Formats: sequence, C-alpha cells, structure tokens
Amino acid sequence: MKPLQSIFIVDDDPIHQQITEIMLERLRIADKVSKFSDAQDVLDHIRLNAADQSGLPDLILLDLNMPVMDGWEFLEVFAELRYQLSKPVRIYVLTSSIDERDRQRVDQFDFVSGYLTKPLTNDIIMALLP
Amino acid sequence: MNHPLLTQVIEALPDPVAVFDTQLNLVTVNSAFSEESCRHLGYALKAGDSLRQLADLHPNLAMQSMDHWQAALSGHRVAFELSYGQPPLRYQISCSPLYNEQKEVFQVMMVIRNVQAETEVRENERFFRSVLENLPVGLQEFTPEGWHRNMNEAQKSILGEDHASNTGPYNVFDDPFNRRNGLTALLDEVKQHKEPVKREMLLKYTEVQDDNVTRIQPMYYEVTGFPVLDLQGDIECLFIILSEITEKKLAVLSLEKSERLLHTIVENLPVGYIQFDHFGFIRRVNQTQRKLFASTGLEEQPDSNLIQDPFARLFELDQLFLEVLQRGKMLRLEKKLEFQVHTGAGKIDREIFLDLTMFPVEDPVDKDQIVVALVNDITEKKRQELENTKNQESLVQTGEIGKIGGWELDMASRHLRWSGQTYKIHELPPYATMTLEKSLSFLEEESRSRVEQAMTACMNRGKAFDLQVTIQTARNNTLQARIIGKPEYRNGRIVRIYGVIQDVTEQFRIRNQLTRNAELMRLFFDTIDMGYAVMDKDGKVNFINRKAQEIVDHGKVIGRNIFEVFPSLVGSTFHARVRQCIDAQAPVSFSNFLPQLDKWYEFLLAPMQDGSISIFTRNITDSKKMQRELRKANDQLSSLNKFLVNQNKQLEDFAHITSHNLRAPIANLKALMQIMNESDNEQEQEMYKGMFQEVIRNIDETLNDLIEIVQIRKDLNVERETLAFADRLQKVKDILLVDMETSSIRLTADFSEAPHIDYPRIYLDSILQNLLTNAIKYRATDRPPSLHLQSRAVDGGIMLTAEDNGMGIDMERYGAKLFGFRKTFHKNKDAKGIGLFITKTQIEAMGGSIYAESQLGAGTKFIITFRPE
Repeated sequence: MKPLQSIFIVDDDPIHQQITEIMLERLRIADKVSKFSDAQDVLDHIRLNAADQSGLPDLILLDLNMPVMDGWEFLEVFAELRYQLSKPVRIYVLTSSIDERDRQRVDQFDFVSGYLTKPLTNDIIMALLP
Repeated sequence: MNHPLLTQVIEALPDPVAVFDTQLNLVTVNSAFSEESCRHLGYALKAGDSLRQLADLHPNLAMQSMDHWQAALSGHRVAFELSYGQPPLRYQISCSPLYNEQKEVFQVMMVIRNVQAETEVRENERFFRSVLENLPVGLQEFTPEGWHRNMNEAQKSILGEDHASNTGPYNVFDDPFNRRNGLTALLDEVKQHKEPVKREMLLKYTEVQDDNVTRIQPMYYEVTGFPVLDLQGDIECLFIILSEITEKKLAVLSLEKSERLLHTIVENLPVGYIQFDHFGFIRRVNQTQRKLFASTGLEEQPDSNLIQDPFARLFELDQLFLEVLQRGKMLRLEKKLEFQVHTGAGKIDREIFLDLTMFPVEDPVDKDQIVVALVNDITEKKRQELENTKNQESLVQTGEIGKIGGWELDMASRHLRWSGQTYKIHELPPYATMTLEKSLSFLEEESRSRVEQAMTACMNRGKAFDLQVTIQTARNNTLQARIIGKPEYRNGRIVRIYGVIQDVTEQFRIRNQLTRNAELMRLFFDTIDMGYAVMDKDGKVNFINRKAQEIVDHGKVIGRNIFEVFPSLVGSTFHARVRQCIDAQAPVSFSNFLPQLDKWYEFLLAPMQDGSISIFTRNITDSKKMQRELRKANDQLSSLNKFLVNQNKQLEDFAHITSHNLRAPIANLKALMQIMNESDNEQEQEMYKGMFQEVIRNIDETLNDLIEIVQIRKDLNVERETLAFADRLQKVKDILLVDMETSSIRLTADFSEAPHIDYPRIYLDSILQNLLTNAIKYRATDRPPSLHLQSRAVDGGIMLTAEDNGMGIDMERYGAKLFGFRKTFHKNKDAKGIGLFITKTQIEAMGGSIYAESQLGAGTKFIITFRPE
C-alpha cells in the first residue's frame, strides 16, 4: 500500500511529464500516476468522477503556462468545482516561473497547497506526503 | 570328199555347221545347225534350201554375212563375228572353202560358234582391269612368299617412281621399312588367319609447299591386306589395298588433341561439371564437382543412374534432366540446399547455394544426346550478396539517421544525381530534376562562392573538398550542412565528382550552444552604448558589460562587491542613490562626479524583480560645457530617461522571457541529471540521453528565437527602402507556394491607396509572411480559407490590414497572450507561439503598432500601423 492512490501531472511539456512520472514512480509514493497536457481534460475528468473517490486524484501537480486552458483558468474553475468532490484533492502549482507576481497571484487561491518551482527534487516530493 | 562322208564329219562337230555351194544352196547341215536355225528362224534349214532364203527373212543377218560368204567362195578363209537374237548373242562364224579335183572352190563349210561367254569374260576382265587401274586406292599383288607381282597406277604413285618394285624383283617381307611401319606384321597376320586385316599406318612423308616454307607432312593410309585363296584353300596370292586417310587422320589427331585439352579444362574448371549420357548415367565428373560431392557428404556414384543417385535427387536433377533432354533447351537456376553433413563430431546442418546450368549437347561422333550440368557453388557469393544488401540497407538507414545524403556529378553529361536523403535535406520532393546550377542556388551567397571554388578546384586539379555551408532549403529553412566531394578518375581523366551532404545543423547548434549563449548576452548588452551592470542589493556585481568594464577600468569586477573594489564609493552619492532606488523600488537617475577618476558620470538605477539593480551609466566628462548647456542637457536627460525606461521595460520583458522560457528546460535538465545519477540501468540511461537531446534542442530553439528578437531590437537603424507592397507580397507568395496550394487559400490584396512604403525589406517580408502563414495555419476546416490584405494612408502613416476567415481567437480569453513570446492557445502542434511575437517586435522596433480584432469561429483581422520616418 503506497502513501497515495493517484497523482495527476498537468503540464504541456512532455519531457517534464516523463521526468516527473519517473521520479514519482521511483519514490513509490502513489499507486497511479496520470499525465495531462490540457487542463480542460483534467476538469472534464474530475467532473465525470466527482462522486467516485477512486477516480479522483489525491494530488494534482499543476503547471501555469499552458496553451488553450492555462493553470490560472483551471484554478478559477476548480475553486467552485472542489465543493462537489467526494474527497479532498490537493493542488500544488509546479511552474518554471520564479516571478514573484505569479507567486502572489497563486496565493490568492487559498485552496492551493503550495507553489513549487521546477525542477522537482526527491526531497520536495517527499514533503508533499500528508 | 564325197557327200555322205562330209555329212558324217560335220555331224561329229559340236558346233552348228553348214556346207553350201557356189549358188549359196545348202549342200548339207548338221543337226546342231538345224536346231539353231529352228530356234532363230522358226523352222529348220536343211540341205537344198538356199541361204538367200535367210537373207530375205533376216536382211540384217544376210548383210553382215554376204560379203564374207562371197570372199569364202573366192577361196579365202574367212572368220567374222556377228551378234544376233534377242537378247543378242555373239557368234563367231568361220567359213572355209572346199576345193574339187580341179582345185576350184565348189563348196564352203561354215562353222558357227557361240562365243557369247568368251566375249563376256574377255570384256569383264578388261573392265575390271581398267577399274582396278583407275581405283583411287593403291592395289598391289604379291605371291604368298611376298614377291611383287602386279600393282595399279594409284599404287605406283603411292610407292613412287623409284620404288624397288618398279625396277626389279621386290619382296615385301624383305623390306626393312615395312617392318617399321607395320606392313610386314599385317601381311603375316593375313597369311596366318587367311582373313583380311585392316590397319592405319604412317607410310611416308610428303613435302608440302606452303608459301616459301616447305613442310614435311606425314601421310597416313588405311592398309587392308587380304589373301586370295585357291580351290584347295591355299593362299594363291596376297593383296594390299592402300587408301590415303591423311586428312581424316590429322583431323582425328587434332580432335583427340582438343579433346585432351577440353578434358583438362573441364577437369580443372572452378565450376562443377557433370556429364550424363542420354540414359541419365553420369559419365564424367570433374574434380571441383568431386570436392562438392565430398563436402556434401554424399558419395560419388559415377555409374549410378540419375534417378537413383541421392545427389541428383537432392538437386532434383532427375526432373531437370528430363526437361533439358525433352525440350533441348538450356536451363539455368539457383538452388538452395539444406542438408546434414556427417562429420566425426556428429551431424552439422549445412546450407549451400548452387548456380546450376544444364544444357543438352550432341555427341559429335555418336550423335547421341548428352546432357552437361555445370554446378557452381555460389554460397560464398550469396552470403556476400546478402551481406551487401544488409550493408546497403544499413547504409541507407545510417543516411537517414545521420541525415546524410549522396550526390554525384557526371563530368561528361554534367548530370547531377541526388539520393533521396539529399532531397530530404533540401526539403524538396524526391527525384525532382536537379542541375548543378539549381543545386548551388540553395546555398547562401558566401557558401555558394566557396562551393563553386571547391568544385572548380576539384574539376581542374582533382582536389577533394570538405566544406561547412549554409543552405536555404526549398521551404526556406536555414540549415548548416557539410558537403564532402571527391573526384573519380578513369584513364587519367576525371569522370565524376561524388560525395555526401550531411545536415549538421543540430550538431552545429549543440556544439555552439554555449558560445552562442555567451554571445547572446554580449550582443544584447553591448548594443547599449552605455555602461551596464547588474548588482544585487548588497553591491555584488553579477554582470558587467564591456562599456562598463572600460569605465571602471579595474581588472575583474564581476562576482565581487563593488563597495569592496571601490571603497571610496561607500557613503558616496552613488551609494545613497542605490539605497533610494532599493527602498522606493523605482528608477533613480542622477549624475555624479567621481573624484578618483576625475570624471563626471550619468547614472540610471533601475530596480529589478529579483531585487537586483540595473545600473546604466555614461561618461559625461567630455561635455565640459555641461553647466553652460545645463538646460539642453536636462532636456537630453529627460528624453534619455524616457528611452531608458523603455529600454528597461524591454529588458524586463526579456528577463521575464528568460525566467519562463529558459528556466523550464534548464529545470528539466537539472531533474534529468538527478534521475540519471540515481540510475545505473543502461537502457534507462539511453532514454535519458535522448531526453537530454530533446531538451537541449528545445533550449537551442528558444535561444535562436531570442537572438532573432535581440537582432531586431538592436538594428534600430536598419536601412529603410522604398518598397512596393505588391512586389513584396509576390515574393512571399513564391516562398509559400506549396503551403498556399495545399490549403488552396484565396489571397486578395488592394494596395491602390498606398502602394509603397519606406521600410526595411526583410521586416516587411517577414511581416507579410507571418500574416499569410497564420491565415493558412489557423484556417477554419469547414470553408475554403481566404485572406484579404489592404493598405491605406492614415493620419501619420500607413495602415495595413489583414483579414482572414479562419478559426478566430477568443480575444477575451487569449487577447493578452496573442502577441506574447511562446504563447500558444491552439492544440495545433505546429504552433510555436513565435510568429506574432516577432511580427510585433519588428513593427514596434520601427515605431509602429499592431493589434487584432477577432471573433471565435469567424475570422481575425490584424491592424498594423506603420509610423512614418
């Protein structure tokens, strides 16, 4: 039994997705790691599985800068959506931006558990565990 | 002599006899005459009949005889011959006059003898003799003891005029020459067995005149000796018949010789040789084939029939044999045999390839059909071929992977040939016609002249070349390529130049990445004709440009604290202003006299996002008239201030871009390093290497884009020229011809109101190209795409609008990002988010502006305002 059941990686950079997946799997912290390139897909998935605990992730690693729907838009929609979910979903913003303004803007979304800057390290990942 | 006595006498004679008187009346006849006359005349003549009766009945007979009868009556003994009857028989007629007492002829006795047989014998003999004389073969007769008795003309000429048998007694057994040539032995055998014996002998030599050369030629004869036996079976005489066979013999000898030669050749052929008779029995096998038999482990069975032979069955030779024999045609085929070989160590599976040729041959002597099989063991060759094919394939693969293409220039025809990969590198459809001239047109000007020189040197002096060049592909992409060329000579003349072309853009980029990175920074900051430095809030210098380095004129400053390097700055105006800037987080400008340098400097301090401070500075010492022209200077300063603020904003943009777009891949590199270090699985390592390359390529792309932007911002004074919109659009249409055709976009333009503009040519081309590319790339799928361009003279400049009917943009959602660096909002994989950013940069660099109006699903309209000079 691993500490987490499911983690979503939401990022349009395939290399980043791959690296993050490898790191998460090496550390054996989740039973399942899913990758998304489009934030809209994640929203659709969550809406569909809102009542199904096993279909929802424990953790979402969310990039900010993405085409079509970016991280900001996702956060705005999720702010309302989260109340309908059958289990708590923790969200970490994981971005390459070190722009302080981005960090401050993320702080406006109080349900976001943390602002992480790339690259991820094993220590950072271990710190994400409940 | 009285009458009855006469009758009795003639009756005694065996031949027909008649006696007639002077009146030709018959006096008496014998019975033989009666019978004979009865046989020929139909009735018997008898005494008292007249011979004239005969003449009446057979005038021919009488005519032949009458004169002779009269002659006999005149007292002559007459003998003559006549032929008579059917078939004619020869008779000899003798007439003898009979005298009376008065010695007068009163009667004639006529004796008729049938000489037919004698005549025949005599004629036969003459005939045979003449035949023998004239035979083309020599004929010689000897006594049983060997003494020469007779020979014909042919024999005489064979033996020669001076042969002993012509001059005197000659014994064939005593001639020593005959013992050597075998004639003695032959005649001995004839005598012993009393049977003909035939043998071929070299009997003499003859001189043959061949032009001026006399050659001695041996003469061969077929000698037949036979005995003629008497009634007792004893040898009466010996005959020899000599028939010249020199020509035949020589032919046979040369045939034997060539056959021996053929045999040797066949035996030593490097190809297996099997000869079958027409029943399918193996008649001959050469040593190569014997070796093959041995190596296959099958026993050679030369006397066995094809049908039972295991080797033949293995080959299916039996079927082939029948086909060849029945059709009379040559067959050639390759066979692959798999079988097991028994060796000392056990069984080994073997596989051999044989090239098998079978053809029918007619035996020149027996006229029998024989069949020859040539068996060539081509296993090695086949293996080589397979190897070659494999090599070829791997070569092609290497070509594709390494992006290496081939080319060759035929010197005679000037024909240039490209491999598929070469076309690919040039982004051309494969096998488009290619000429040297056309191929050179893809090279950048400087590269082109170098390649032309190298080609000329190669053609004239055979100098090989290896050049790095820049290629503009058919789709207008720029590539770095390496072209290698080598001459090929035949008979001392250069026949072709061939070589490879390799796309080394990636290698080139990776290799030069660090250099370029540094260059980028230098380029950017050295463009400012001011000292520029970045220091953190404590005073540590993180960056300093060339100009600033000149100003401080103090060895290594970067990485050190400015207040430690120049302690005098502590507590100075500069120091105070830095504090002010940090506290207010606002730009601060001032001028300051630095006593230790004895110079006046203008400074602009600007706070940055990360807490650092950008310092811009300029030496104003030279303007000694500063105080006098204080007002003017102030004006300048304020305009400079504005400019610097603008610069600063661009710098900030740049910092933002750097933080976003360069950090992401670098973060990836870091993470990759970490997971790579944690793994020692080779396969994983390989995968990580691939990912590294991908990330580096990504960084490289970003850097190249940044360089382009920096170039544009740097080249503020880029030359303007008067351009016709229509000309520039045509040029862009040429470049995008393929894309336009594939999308079948309908492009319309109206430049009548403002046909010309003063603008940098490359910028205008780039702007038009980006507008057109966007309209194609983001066309709606449900209608044919269209784009309308229109230029207008507006207050203070020229306005260009580009209106398409494409998919449109949700301006509310994406408007802010539309012209951003690396911003995309389509799932389109082609979208890089750079085109509009560059367009905007190019327009703004020249003082213009761009904005967009759009309706999702309906189309987009870009409105560009070009500021006048």
